[in-house]
Amino acid sequence: MMSSRKQRVGIVGVPPLSIMEMLSSPEVEIYDLDEPQGKTDIETASPFLPRVYCGILRTVIANSLTIRPDVIYIDTGPGKCDCAVHTATVLEDTLPETRIIRTRNQDSMGFGTPLCRTRMGLLEKMAAITASVQSTTPFQDLPPCEPKAGFWGVPPRDFSLLKLFPDTTHIYGWARCMENKTPDNLELELHYNPNIPTVFFAQSFCAKTALARHLATKHPHGLYLDCDVTAGNSAKAKIQAFLELSKI
Amino acid sequence: MLLADFGTSYCKLLDTSASDGPQLIATRNLDHDLQVDRGTGHNGKRHCHHYVNELTALARGGLSLIQEESFTLLDCGSRDIKYVAYQGEKIKDMGWNAECGASMGFTIELLEKYYDLDFAAIKVPASSFSVTCGVLGMSHIFDAVVTGSSEEEAVAKFVKGIAINAYNFAKRPEKVYLSGGLCDNPLFVGSFPCPVVLLGRFVLLEGLKASSEQLNIQ
Repeated sequence: MMSSRKQRVGIVGVPPLSIMEMLSSPEVEIYDLDEPQGKTDIETASPFLPRVYCGILRTVIANSLTIRPDVIYIDTGPGKCDCAVHTATVLEDTLPETRIIRTRNQDSMGFGTPLCRTRMGLLEKMAAITASVQSTTPFQDLPPCEPKAGFWGVPPRDFSLLKLFPDTTHIYGWARCMENKTPDNLELELHYNPNIPTVFFAQSFCAKTALARHLATKHPHGLYLDCDVTAGNSAKAKIQAFLELSKI
Repeated sequence: MLLADFGTSYCKLLDTSASDGPQLIATRNLDHDLQVDRGTGHNGKRHCHHYVNELTALARGGLSLIQEESFTLLDCGSRDIKYVAYQGEKIKDMGWNAECGASMGFTIELLEKYYDLDFAAIKVPASSFSVTCGVLGMSHIFDAVVTGSSEEEAVAKFVKGIAINAYNFAKRPEKVYLSGGLCDNPLFVGSFPCPVVLLGRFVLLEGLKASSEQLNIQ
């Protein structure tokens, strides 16, 4: 009798809905390779990607080397980034036994953004958004709250910095596009609320640093912040001081 | 109330009930068991009952001492550089460079002693070294001395490089309010490519005082 094991599938970015529907099976185990999985050491990626590179994509390589998925769906379209295009090539050459499937998610049907606007700890809210990538149905409807602060950007490599925000923080930027399942929606990504103090965050060495910094300058009360693998004391102090001095 | 800014090289102490003003103590001579009511600074968390974030203390100090609604306040310490920028009474920007801007103040003090220099007697040079870190920047000095520069001239270019790096870090403001021990270094101050208003070493203490007064009001 043949023993069957679940197919191990890694995803990078937000693959198109049609792919996620196809993967929605009890026979498939999905790993979000953008997020730290277990105690994988990010330095295991260093022989394959420069150390001065996006911390999320270094995490993708480190996770892939540890998990060794059967298949990896990596979004290399405009809803992700050029760095992912090159990371896909590196994965292909580094893990010949893994099938690397490039996708271009240009889904345009919005699923809504109730999580981004509801009252909930920012860390829990962001975790729910990243987990929602694996779901093919809209998130339950949640009541919106009045925002006291804003967080614009991508889910950070180090979620601990999110603990510093009040639970009335609204999420903007690419994380909002993620929840909406439209990662290539630039109009939604550019949206922010000019009436609330907002931290514009991007991972260091990511192309989105330019947009984050530009929008922080345009925003009447915005702070630009970038962090690499972990959020150091100075990054945390910046957030803490910004919120405190903004009387939040 | 005892307030303290526990810096890397120097600790600044203020007893608000006394009239003799703040004290400056070299950190290496600090009583290890010292505990204050309210503290800030790199070395502060283990010495105080209530810790105030350094950027918050700097901003509150600036708000107490500066009359303008919009300003950039830059603090150049031994170990790090940080700044806060206000625009129309709102906090607009801030930065804290503890890694790449590391050890600039400390290195300047080290060079002063090593080469036995008097910074008040050294002219601001026309050019500077490209310096982003005190430790890495030192190699420029050694290279320049080897190729015939005087030690004084090489250190002056290094100090100017540090001032320009700090100015760029603060996003090149039209005018800089400067805080920290480097306010006492005329070569450093004169190396900024913009007007500089000196606020001295005790701005973070002012910020602690302002935080305490705010708490008392509440």
